[in-house]
Amino acid sequence: MSVVTGRAKKGNRLPMLAQAGPVSLWMIVFVTLPMLFIIFISFMSRGTFGGVEYTPSMESYETMMEITYFHVITKSIGVAAETTIACLLVGYPFAYYIARKPADVASRLITLLMIPFWTNSLMRLNAWMLIFQTNGPVNNFLVNVNLIEKPITFIFTDGLVLLGLITNYLPFAVLPMYSSIEKLEKPVLEASADLGANPRQTLLKVTLPLTIPGIFSAIILTFIPALGTYVITDMLGGGKVLYIGNIIKNQFGTIRNWPLGAALSVLLLAITALMLFLYSRFAKVEDMEVV
Amino acid sequence: MSREGKVNRRLQRQRLRKIPWTVFMTLVYASFYIPVMVMILFSFNDAKRNYSWMGFTTHWYPKLFSFGNHDLWEALVYSLIIAVLATVISVVIGVLGGIGLKKYEFHGKKFINMMLFIPIVVPEIVMAVSMLIIFMVIGVKLGLATIVIGHCTFCIPYAVIVIKGRITGDNETLQEASMDLGATKLQTFIKVTIPSIMPGIMSAAFLSFTLSIDDVIISNMLAGASQSTLPVLILSVNRTGITPDINALTTVMVIVMLFGMAIMNVLQRIHKKREAASLAESDERIRAARLAAEEYN
Amino acid sequence: MKTKLLAVVLVLVMVFALTACGDSGSESGNAGSELNIFMWGDYISDETITDFENETGIDVNLSYMNDNADSVNKLTAGAGGEYDLIMTCDAYMESLINGGYLEELDLSKIPNAENINKAYWTEQNQKYCIPYLMNYIYVVYDTERCPIDITCYNDLIRPELKGQLGSIDGARNLFPIALIALGYDPNSTEESEIAEAYEWLKKYNDNVVAYGSTETNIVNGTISVMLTYDGNTAEAMASMGDNNTLTVAPFTEDPVQLGFDLYVIPKGATHMDNAYAFLNYITDPEVMAKNLVENPYSCPNDAAVAAASEEYRNGPAFDFDYKENVFFQEDVGDAIKTYDKYYQKLKVGIGE
Repeated sequence: MSVVTGRAKKGNRLPMLAQAGPVSLWMIVFVTLPMLFIIFISFMSRGTFGGVEYTPSMESYETMMEITYFHVITKSIGVAAETTIACLLVGYPFAYYIARKPADVASRLITLLMIPFWTNSLMRLNAWMLIFQTNGPVNNFLVNVNLIEKPITFIFTDGLVLLGLITNYLPFAVLPMYSSIEKLEKPVLEASADLGANPRQTLLKVTLPLTIPGIFSAIILTFIPALGTYVITDMLGGGKVLYIGNIIKNQFGTIRNWPLGAALSVLLLAITALMLFLYSRFAKVEDMEVV
Repeated sequence: MSREGKVNRRLQRQRLRKIPWTVFMTLVYASFYIPVMVMILFSFNDAKRNYSWMGFTTHWYPKLFSFGNHDLWEALVYSLIIAVLATVISVVIGVLGGIGLKKYEFHGKKFINMMLFIPIVVPEIVMAVSMLIIFMVIGVKLGLATIVIGHCTFCIPYAVIVIKGRITGDNETLQEASMDLGATKLQTFIKVTIPSIMPGIMSAAFLSFTLSIDDVIISNMLAGASQSTLPVLILSVNRTGITPDINALTTVMVIVMLFGMAIMNVLQRIHKKREAASLAESDERIRAARLAAEEYN
Repeated sequence: MKTKLLAVVLVLVMVFALTACGDSGSESGNAGSELNIFMWGDYISDETITDFENETGIDVNLSYMNDNADSVNKLTAGAGGEYDLIMTCDAYMESLINGGYLEELDLSKIPNAENINKAYWTEQNQKYCIPYLMNYIYVVYDTERCPIDITCYNDLIRPELKGQLGSIDGARNLFPIALIALGYDPNSTEESEIAEAYEWLKKYNDNVVAYGSTETNIVNGTISVMLTYDGNTAEAMASMGDNNTLTVAPFTEDPVQLGFDLYVIPKGATHMDNAYAFLNYITDPEVMAKNLVENPYSCPNDAAVAAASEEYRNGPAFDFDYKENVFFQEDVGDAIKTYDKYYQKLKVGIGE
């Protein structure tokens, strides 16, 4: 039996245009063009009063070679990697649990994970601060049960920053892993069990290897956004450390050095491209699970 | 030992094995809902600004509903309008695009597939600034349209990918059957394809709405003169400290949206019941169509 | 045939939907009776806006900035024409004037501007802006919890304050205090001096618990000293009420930074007359005095301060005697890149 895929018949390309056209047009106009423009201005000079002066210059890239930026980038990669690892460690078992529930229960559990996002992220970060602040409930409790004598400063510690990052990015790690675990065919798992593997062996030897594309797309979806974040780290970390997101924001903000901001954005684009390339080595990018 | 004892012990062991799972899942969900509950609690805070807990009051709610602070309400309404527009546009383009990109081969398809990942992974500030510059260069006035375009740009990829994921061999068999039965492509699209990917459409809509309603950075950069969205207003107020009426408004908003979702759920269930009744019938028809098609071949 | 039709219709609907959005965004309401203002959120009382609307019949649209640089970004990106009034701060004025982003004001249309103290409204800026409110960046500490008394910036780097200090952020807020502590010009453009200031700030940074949210942190007990704005101090003191133990540090010699939030009319503004009407309204002493109740910040409008409530004038956040010993943030030109470089070094913590 033939499947309806394949090229549109000659002379009748309209259905194809109507279906693939809008999305293609949108992506070209609102993604490709802006990105090309960012690359373009990264090779221009800083305007005297901010903005861009259209004289070619490599200054931004030369600045980026300075050692400070190397430190900023390694620090940013460090915190993004921590977030990613934490999201995988929490997210995989979480996704695994949900994926083995019946479809309607699973979809309800996923919805339950997304509902907190209807409240503004700033309000949630604020709530974390209120919980952990010096005269907050956690400290009050610990003092009252005599576990500690004096309130501990929980806020502005790396631990709280990580908690904030995980609660922000976990859904984006869970969703692709959930889809890929859910797609595993029951017969494969049953075969593994029939062949005498215990559940743990099945998980390590069958489920995990078969869901690697899902895991990798979870890595991409948490690592790269976490690399560019600054709101969470600033609020929960007390703004003592600069990450690459802060620096880009400052270049387009107080410092008014757009070309440098653009050049740093190009660096992030390059890292993104590299990750997608790595992904394409063992799975088709266009089939990447995102949700 | 009796057989019954063994079974009991196995059941017990199974139950024991479940405990760590329950604890784990509870902890994860708690880490998502505790901040929300604290946020709600502080809408009852008897203080001008939420620096810390000062005592219980309900007066923020009457104050909120006296509409004295109309900025807040306007910002909320504006956010909702944007979220709905962005959701509708993203889902329409996402449905068409998801089907189109799955079904047809054309030049540049790989490129478009790559481009879809850019808004998902690139930091928002980069997207925001690059779009702002493009709008300025081509001379588009900032406003509702630019924010909606901005939001669509990061919602469409999610919508396309969700829907692409929902299209399987089954859908194609169904379509084939429908056309064999004499339906036109348009009829097939509306009566067969769309219903078969309905769960995907629903989750694409849900995701787009959620992403849009929470966005700050793009909304801030692409906002025009007339209005700010609620998240942008909150970030601006955060300079001196969030006031409890914002907590109250957020609480009301979440409750209303939860209520809306519950209604949708009920409607869906009714719809499903009706569907189940007609499904038995259509199953028969498809089987007949398949048989006919095979005979024809 | 039907498929073609569907395709065409869908594309058309999309195009129309978008253009319709665009239209409703730009032409909502009668063009003659609106006023678009871009400013900080929660920074002008609702009553002031409503009264202005009722009195003049002009419909005011407020949209909010999240960063002082937002307004400059919008102007340099070319979006100035979207607004009729933009709030910015004095530090950016020189750039904005020289860059040709601002309309020259016709002061004859703002007679109430006479009430503004000329000491706070420099001659070069007078033609382009109307100061709204102003803020001192000074040091405040909790008399009960702070281990030392503070009378100058150098006290802030004493090791006793480790883990006690909160601070506002930003290169151009931090470097000036270091430069003053070292005896230099707070707007220095000399790299060697900025480098020295960086060394000073490293010690400062060691004491800092967090940048930003100073008022929250001092009220909830995380910090006991803060470098902050007077307006935020007023909020913190008000929320402590009768138990207020905060006091403005009695500086003896070091000047403090005084910054202004100003209204400017961007080039290409479409409702100039409405903008003038608003500027004249907001500089009216009675109107401003009423606005100060909800927004207890320092105000350059002398007549308004005189008309303001007793409570405002005697506010503990404004109870310090070095109000004249101030410096202003000036445009440092290309040296901003040097500041940025050292600011990044400071925050990245090289050499630790």
